[in-house]
Amino acid sequence: MKIDRRSFLGLGLGAAAGVTLSPMPWKLTDDSSIWSQNWPWTPVPIDGEVTFDDTVCTLCPGNCGISVKKVNGRAIKIEGKKGYPVNDGGICLHGISGLQYLYDPSRVRFPMVKNGDTWKQVSWDEAASLVAGKIKELKDKGMADSVACVAGSDKGSIAGLYKRFITSVGSQNFYTVDTMEKTWEMLIERVHGLNASAAFDLAKSDYIISFGTGFIEGWGSPVNNFLANSSRKERHAKLVQVEYRLSNTAASADIWLPAKPGTEASLALGICSAMISANLYNAAFAQSAGKDFEAFAKFVNEKYDPELVSRTTGVDAAKIKAVAAEFAKAKSPLAIAGRGKGESAGSLMEFAAVHALNCLTGNINKEGGFWTIEQQDSLTWPSVVMDDSATKSYAKPPVGAVTSVIDSGASGAGIFSAVVSAVSGGATDSGQKVLSSVSKLFEVINASEKSPVELLMVYNSNPCFTLRNAKVVKDAVNKIPFVVSFSPYMDDTAQLADVILPTHTSLEMTQDVYSGACIAQNVIALSKSVAVPVYDTKHPGDAIISLAKATEGSVASNFTWKTYSECLESIMGDNFATLSEEGYIASELAPPVTPLSVDFSLFAAFKDSISLEGDAKSYPLTLVPIDTIRLASSTLASPPFAVKTVEDTVLFEKDTLVEINPETADKVGVDDGDYAVITTSVGEAKVRIHLFDGIMPGIIAIPEGLGHSTGAKGEIITKDGSPMAGITGATSIITQTGGVSKNRGQLENLYIGGKGVNVNELIGPVMDPASGLDAAWGIRARISRA
Amino acid sequence: MTQDNHGKKYKFGMVIDLDKCTGCGSCMVACMSENNVPFKEDETNKKDSITWMRVFKLTNGKPFPETDICYMPRPCMHCGGKGDHGHSPCVSVCPATATDYGHDTGIVSQIYTRCFGCRYCMGACPYHARYFNWWDPKWPDGMEEYLSPNVSPRMRGVVEKCSFCYHRYQAARDKAYHEERRDEIEESEYQTACTQACPAGAITFGDLNNPDHEVCKFVNPDPHQCGKPRNPKAFRLLERLQTNPKVYYISEREWVRKAGDNYRDGEWGKEIHSSDGNSHK
Amino acid sequence: MDSALIPKGAKRCPFPVFATGIAVVGAVLLWGVYAMGLCWLKGLNQTNMNDYYGFALWIWADLAVIAIGGGAFFTGLLKYVFGIDELKNIINLAVVIGFICYSSALLILAIDIGQPLRGWFIFWHANVHSMLTEVAFCLSLYFSVLTIEFVPLILENRQIDKVPFFHNLSHNMHGVMAIFAATGAFLSCFHQGSLGGVAGVLYGRPFAYREGLLVWPWTFFLFTWSAAAYGPCFTLVVTKLFEGITRKKLVKDNVVNLLAKISGWMITTYIIAKIIDTIYWMGVTAPDMGFSVMDFYSNNSFYGIWILFAEIVLGGIVPAVILTVKKYRENKKLLLVAIILGVFGVCLNRWVMVLQVMAVPVMSFDTWALYLPSWQEVATTILPVAYGIILISLAYRYLPVFPQEQELYDTK
Ligand SMILES: Nc1nc2c(c(=O)[nH]1)N[C@H]1C(S)=C(S)[C@@H](COP(=O)(O)OP(=O)(O)OC[C@H]3O[C@@H](n4cnc5c(=O)[nH]c(N)nc54)[C@H](O)[C@@H]3O)O[C@H]1N2
Ligand SMILES: Nc1nc2c(c(=O)[nH]1)N[C@H]1C(S)=C(S)[C@@H](COP(=O)(O)OP(=O)(O)OC[C@H]3O[C@@H](n4cnc5c(=O)[nH]c(N)nc54)[C@H](O)[C@@H]3O)O[C@H]1N2
Ligand code: SF4
Ligand code: SF4
Ligand code: SF4
Ligand code: SF4
Ligand code: SF4
Ligand SMILES: [Mo]
Repeated sequence: MKIDRRSFLGLGLGAAAGVTLSPMPWKLTDDSSIWSQNWPWTPVPIDGEVTFDDTVCTLCPGNCGISVKKVNGRAIKIEGKKGYPVNDGGICLHGISGLQYLYDPSRVRFPMVKNGDTWKQVSWDEAASLVAGKIKELKDKGMADSVACVAGSDKGSIAGLYKRFITSVGSQNFYTVDTMEKTWEMLIERVHGLNASAAFDLAKSDYIISFGTGFIEGWGSPVNNFLANSSRKERHAKLVQVEYRLSNTAASADIWLPAKPGTEASLALGICSAMISANLYNAAFAQSAGKDFEAFAKFVNEKYDPELVSRTTGVDAAKIKAVAAEFAKAKSPLAIAGRGKGESAGSLMEFAAVHALNCLTGNINKEGGFWTIEQQDSLTWPSVVMDDSATKSYAKPPVGAVTSVIDSGASGAGIFSAVVSAVSGGATDSGQKVLSSVSKLFEVINASEKSPVELLMVYNSNPCFTLRNAKVVKDAVNKIPFVVSFSPYMDDTAQLADVILPTHTSLEMTQDVYSGACIAQNVIALSKSVAVPVYDTKHPGDAIISLAKATEGSVASNFTWKTYSECLESIMGDNFATLSEEGYIASELAPPVTPLSVDFSLFAAFKDSISLEGDAKSYPLTLVPIDTIRLASSTLASPPFAVKTVEDTVLFEKDTLVEINPETADKVGVDDGDYAVITTSVGEAKVRIHLFDGIMPGIIAIPEGLGHSTGAKGEIITKDGSPMAGITGATSIITQTGGVSKNRGQLENLYIGGKGVNVNELIGPVMDPASGLDAAWGIRARISRA
Repeated sequence: MTQDNHGKKYKFGMVIDLDKCTGCGSCMVACMSENNVPFKEDETNKKDSITWMRVFKLTNGKPFPETDICYMPRPCMHCGGKGDHGHSPCVSVCPATATDYGHDTGIVSQIYTRCFGCRYCMGACPYHARYFNWWDPKWPDGMEEYLSPNVSPRMRGVVEKCSFCYHRYQAARDKAYHEERRDEIEESEYQTACTQACPAGAITFGDLNNPDHEVCKFVNPDPHQCGKPRNPKAFRLLERLQTNPKVYYISEREWVRKAGDNYRDGEWGKEIHSSDGNSHK
Repeated sequence: MDSALIPKGAKRCPFPVFATGIAVVGAVLLWGVYAMGLCWLKGLNQTNMNDYYGFALWIWADLAVIAIGGGAFFTGLLKYVFGIDELKNIINLAVVIGFICYSSALLILAIDIGQPLRGWFIFWHANVHSMLTEVAFCLSLYFSVLTIEFVPLILENRQIDKVPFFHNLSHNMHGVMAIFAATGAFLSCFHQGSLGGVAGVLYGRPFAYREGLLVWPWTFFLFTWSAAAYGPCFTLVVTKLFEGITRKKLVKDNVVNLLAKISGWMITTYIIAKIIDTIYWMGVTAPDMGFSVMDFYSNNSFYGIWILFAEIVLGGIVPAVILTVKKYRENKKLLLVAIILGVFGVCLNRWVMVLQVMAVPVMSFDTWALYLPSWQEVATTILPVAYGIILISLAYRYLPVFPQEQELYDTK
């Protein structure tokens, strides 16, 4: 057949018609919609039986009760546990995001040893014998005191094991990060002569004056405070917020008193003065329980008359008097100090000035008042056995020793015995007035030619990020010949370590937890493992026990338990059985019945609190940190979900935004969104400007919790000698930022890492002469257009 | 005018106490976690960041120290539309019926596998409650392990939004059915993830048709005015557009209530805010 | 080289010159195709659209090309239904432009949707309440009509015409073209309207929302009317462009003037309606929703009241006056100014009704959302322009688009 143009066209058209009329196009069309619903890269979560596992969140000191929802044993969601004493079903955004920590891309997947620029995978045994070898070596040389440990806190059995390890080796160099709880404890001991923690019965108080405390910024036990704040709204209980910036707490308060920064203590004493001169204080209480009250009354009347105070604080005298009157008339008034994240511990004298208000009303250990709670450390440890060399080394004071200038007061007992016993690991209780400060530790190391610390263990803390003047801390850490990190994540400090012994994350392990964080109830709980460990990590208790065994000798003999769980069971005693069954033990919701005395002499000895670093001429502005609950700034880096909630006026792309008043901006010559450089005596940083009317002119406020480094530097070599593959696995799907990240194989968390500025690179520590703890709450600064 | 759902089965709605809300963001994250909402490395461009629940920060615009702020959580309003007949701004425009009004629940659904991504509904929604999947959802290695089987992860190119946690309604309905209670769901049996998580107790959820439910008691919706709140401290966002949302806000603060809608100079304070927003015709 | 394909007696530039021109435009086209490929393969994250700006640059382009492509249906209507026979001399061009505009519009829609493979859901799961459904149906049907209107012209190509079957087909199609033109005009009226309805029904967007008649907001009628009014302006602009480029007269003045006059009167009536609509919207619709006019034109760095002035005065009143007054209309320069302003006016109207709608804040605490398109969007928006240039050049070269060309050439 000859194919001419006509038949060709005919055939073509025929074929087209045939195909069109056949089922093929319909089938293909239908298929296309099915494909587009089932791309292989869109996950299809598997369904199954639903169960709930109750445990306790340990991501922050709040320790909320949580319920982990599981499908076929796979954890899929975290919810607040209804009826739990701390949080009654409420939960914060970090707690909900708990599961994101489990699969955090920066998690360290196996023990690693640093080798020049690369990390090498090793077995747990190899890693333990390497570290143990170093420790033995130091011990043999009589240098056991050059072994140090920095831990997040000293509460609970795990911290106890690390402290015990350091003590067994023969060192006093066990450090925890300073907290405002410590400051309160010191104050209670000095003023009331009690060994107790502070608690605030916020949920029952009908009038609260808060000096910069961010109840709803994440202070103390965050969810507990949210609940209290809501109940306050229902009960029409008043909140007065003293703060130079309209924080969320200030916005939620009934009265906002923007006192100039650093004058909060003066304002507190001004209110005291107004109360005393108008005879509005609880005279019966002050006279019967108080000592040196008259001296205090005279002191404040002379020096803190409301008119005078008005000039220093910028708060109207009439307002001071009005607040004083309302406060005094309230049924259960309460004054609170402690701006947690702004500084590490806070100024003891500032706390004292605030607490004077509580002492004037006498609303102490009463409903809705200030409570002194007995510390409930119910763990019974076998005593530590030391060999000769350990005993000898242990006699040496800690490297970061600081002395307090405060007199021991009238309460008789060594005022800081609580802290001292913490320093000495419970082994001795000599009553010496020596404290150890983690800031001081790094300062000393940095200043020495050769680091006095030969081996540093870092557990559950991230000093290279959270300590003031982080750059100095990093330099110091780099100077230490051997650094061992027990972190589950490649955090800012782990990156500088020589060995990482990665521990489980909280959801993968069981541990005892103790509510503190100033809540008016004692709750002991067992936080249970609710997820199978994802990687080759160990329980931090087991990690230290096996390290002790590898160290052999007297150290090993102090760790006779086979496993951490055996240890926990034996040291917890009776509580263990109850906790295993009930999950938690909560004390009565009633004020302590401890008889109370008040020594007013400390208040009368008030000296102005901490002055800021830097001279006013070259640094005309004040830089202060601010916080939002949405960014975790100490306990862990924020999870992706939380970072997602951060406003674009706090973080934009990779830039931190700082808040300043439009008036300040005018003077400096910057506008909303501009790039600017902040300079302090500690460092400088490029930021962007966010204009906010709610901040006092003259102040720059910078958000906490940003400025984490991204993750590991250097290549990671696995056991089989190959570089670690990209964690995300190379697929052809575009990632959300437009390309498959090449660095994912390096344990980086790009959701928070590499974003913004770490406040601590701009602010240095300021030692509180009264407490010896770091009390920096800001720094002098200048800002100019970039 | 009477409300469409009046006398019908349920009309689920939400009341948010803005004086209690602390802006903590738990509701946002609870929602992301409950509903398999993805995240990307940079979420600072809020105009392409999927947050079914978004907490806006409002200020009163006054200088220091008269400044005040208010946080306003914004889920989908599940608008009843003009006359409350179910012609929500978004539902009425979707060409493919990929979003629909549930006349038995008052819930505005979103069918991901039906949606072809024209985004007309997004243009129609004045609350920015709708989000487009500009990217394929992607989780860091292993993290997809935590995804919930109750809500299907979405694919690139479709729109998503708050569903009032519809799967929770389904679960409650199924449970009631199995227990031979047929249509009787208890108030506590169906609560949304954000309501449950809010640590300030600022969110209340329930059936606006049921006078025993908290939501109903709080706002006292007027069935003859499409559910307009009779509680003078309560308001709905953009009442004057007649979208008839089922999310109500409560605040003691006048400036906050005023910020809930648009008023020309001098209008606020005259009867405009107490008169019927739906009666302009 | 390709002389066998060129209409008999027509003078065309040498093939290499033509090919070079096509290659240059083709390069632009390929750039657009590349961008289009990116959008399909990688998704709409290639654009700068966002959740506040779900409709952006190319949707404006979509609406604009449909509006200026309106010359096709309106000229068709005038010729076939109202029997204005002179217009046969420009109808071919109008049809080609219409075909280009509508095929471009469909292409843009195919790029614009997030799930192109599911595009057909709009027909299968159609929601009859949605203006977009109406748009989709009318648009694709009218495109079919345009194709049918275009085919006879193609069949008139010298070589194709030699095939008896095609010759006859062409002849017969011409015979029934009036029916298609009428259908096309009807369909086109509807979808031009429904495009207007797309914005007008958005009662959550006070800037766009308009009251109306039955289910149709006033913008429905305004869009149809404006497309009819301004479409011919674009047909004339293209004619003038061709005449400029080829340095030949292609359409007789009487035809041009006639179409210009009709357009002028259409614009006049339209702009009166538009002004009334604007006044009612400013005085009643928007205030009912709590907005005063200046809310829509202040507090941002781009959208000032100038845009309203530009649309109504420059793009409306000025061309209306020029085109309706014989003296001005017959002044070549003024005519050119008027038809260009007309095209500008209708494009600006579509811009306002798509892009400004998205930019205006609605909640009291919202701020203006301005956006800048990405290069991929720009490229895909230019793609139809390049495609149009190529197609219309091919048509001009090989098809008898301008029936008067020969006559005008001979008389010269
Ligand atoms: N989300 C989240 N919650 C947490 C934590 C976390 O990391 N993330 N960590 C927990 C821990 S360890 C702690 S210690 C607490 C801390 O919690 P908070 O005490 O709430 O800490 P901040 O929010 O940093 O500080 C409170 C407020 O004090 C103000 N402020 C700062 N300096 C001054 C000043 O000189 N004067 C006055 N009047 N005000 C000032 C700041 O503006 C800030 O708003 O949070 C706990 N809760
Ligand atoms: N930038 C900044 N600095 C601050 C503050 C701030 O708000 N911002 N706040 C100050 C205050 S109030 C405090 S309390 C301190 C807190 O100071 P740190 O306690 O040093 O800070 P975190 O970041 O909580 O350190 C916890 C680290 O421990 C690791 N980790 C977490 N969970 C576990 C676990 O279960 N086991 C083990 N082994 N490791 C774990 C993680 O790597 C994490 O980075 O910071 C102070 N400094
Ligand atoms: S407040 Fe603290 S303990 Fe409670 S859920 Fe949040 S992170 Fe966990
Ligand atoms: S969880 Fe509650 S308090 Fe927190 S932002 Fe949401 S509504 Fe407000
Ligand atoms: S809030 Fe928006 S998405 Fe939700 S129902 Fe209303 S218009 Fe639709
Ligand atoms: S984007 Fe999806 S849901 Fe929205 S209108 Fe288009 S098809 Fe409907
Ligand atoms: S109701 Fe459910 S879907 Fe809607 S915002 Fe709340 S948690 Fe998210
Ligand atoms: Mo802390």
